[in-house]
Amino acid sequence: MLIELDNTTKIYNQGKPNEVTALHGVNLQIEGRTMVCLQGASGSGKSTLLAIIGCVFPPTSGRASIAGKQLSRMPDRFLTIHRREKIGFIFQQFNLLPRLSVLDNITLPLLPLGISPRERKTKARKLLGQLSISHRENFPAGQISGGEMQRVAIARALINNQPIILADEPTAHLDSRLSMEFMQIMTDLKASGKTIIIASHDTLVSEHPAIDKIINIKDGRIDVP
Amino acid sequence: MFLNSWSLGLTLAGLIILFLGVFACRTAVRVLRYWDPQSDSNLQIKLENEIWLASTLVEYGLGFQILTVVLFVLAADTFCQVIVGAMCATGALLANNFGMPALLVKLAGVFVYGFWIVLHKLDISSETYPLVRIKYIYLLLILPLLVADIILQSLYISFLSPDIITSCCAVVFGSSKETGRNLLEGFSRPTLLALYYGSIIALTGMGYVLLKRWLVPLAVLFSTGWIWFLGLATIAIIAVFSSYIYAMPYHHCPFCILKPEYHYVGFALYFTLIPASFFGLTTVLVEPFKRRNNLAGSVQKYQQTAIRISLLLLLLLTVISSYHYLLYRISGGE
Repeated sequence: MLIELDNTTKIYNQGKPNEVTALHGVNLQIEGRTMVCLQGASGSGKSTLLAIIGCVFPPTSGRASIAGKQLSRMPDRFLTIHRREKIGFIFQQFNLLPRLSVLDNITLPLLPLGISPRERKTKARKLLGQLSISHRENFPAGQISGGEMQRVAIARALINNQPIILADEPTAHLDSRLSMEFMQIMTDLKASGKTIIIASHDTLVSEHPAIDKIINIKDGRIDVP
Repeated sequence: MFLNSWSLGLTLAGLIILFLGVFACRTAVRVLRYWDPQSDSNLQIKLENEIWLASTLVEYGLGFQILTVVLFVLAADTFCQVIVGAMCATGALLANNFGMPALLVKLAGVFVYGFWIVLHKLDISSETYPLVRIKYIYLLLILPLLVADIILQSLYISFLSPDIITSCCAVVFGSSKETGRNLLEGFSRPTLLALYYGSIIALTGMGYVLLKRWLVPLAVLFSTGWIWFLGLATIAIIAVFSSYIYAMPYHHCPFCILKPEYHYVGFALYFTLIPASFFGLTTVLVEPFKRRNNLAGSVQKYQQTAIRISLLLLLLLTVISSYHYLLYRISGGE
């Protein structure tokens, strides 16, 4: 099993008056080379679950492991390396740096790796070609369309060739045509061997034929129908 | 003498470091009671986050406490300007019963605190915190030294008075028989020099062999050799080399060489000798941790680096300490 969560709980502001339990003892197993959709209403715990899988923060209790390793509980320096090597993120708001060019945004995750600028650009241009946005290479990221921003965000998530792609509400700001385009790119990535986890309440995502498993989350618990 | 920038700075720094130490000891007690790396409980995960913060604070606190040796000596050097009879830090440190003990405790602290930092670095070099318990037991053990260090420093500053008549370094470390007590009587220069350079050759040889092939008995000898060399080199600097730096045969103060008129050469000497001894000594002290989970590689890497650093600093020390001596011997003076 590539991703395993065992009795994972996440409590925000623990012990304070505004304490919120976002996840209640979640058990989850995700196999490699699959596409999984985390479905649930806003505030159900999808993003928290995604953040724990992505080692953004550790669970309050329980175990969350990737390929048998509890990444989120490793010392920071190891966690950073593992996260960089294993996990690519696509965010709802894309989180691009608007003043940097499309190319510079994509090559950002390669900066700490000591890769030469030439090699960084070669890698980024290859992805730009695959995602059909080569013509926007030198445009500032803030001056391209929403669909193009999404592709740039995908390219940035793929630049390190990570085996796991996590996407948090990736189609929230896209129309249905762009959403379908996004899902086609994800389908191609799955075919190339990536494991993709998408948190979304968009039916275009959950009903897409490439989705292998839908996990419903309700009030921080996995809802078994 | 409390209302002095040096005194206030040292006391404030001491209190902050003590606070950090006590805060970390609370974590240490929790680690000893509840640490269980196999557990997925909330307490264990909280502890993992807590030790990261506590260890980082302790690392910087102890690191700064090591630096206070320099600040303390510089402060003493400043105090000598107002204490009757004192010409340099020697007189200021002998002005009451707490100066020299405070300095000695601080010097011991360089090694003791430094080793905690080494343990911490080794611990975080693994994905599984294999030295957490040892690191925090050690922290609890060194806390009394840290407390003593800060108390002695505070007592020294508190009881320091400009009215006290103290001894000049020429009396304490001088060679004249008429001036009372002399800490350097009984050391023969040729013997000292032979032992000094002989020890340097022996340490370099052992270090070179250890870099090529790791042998535990030789490593023990190497580290023990560094303890011997630390004492020997200190005496050699005071009894032999200092007088060539001062260009005065009867002046042997270990502190005057820190002054600007001697181009701060003392700092260069002590900043090579003490760290070199530390790295040389810790080479073997980390050996038992090789058997810990996932640590063999990190320990080996540290040992190789420590030997290289100690040999490099030894080379620098040899050059710096011999410079004035050889200059005098070759050109017959300055």
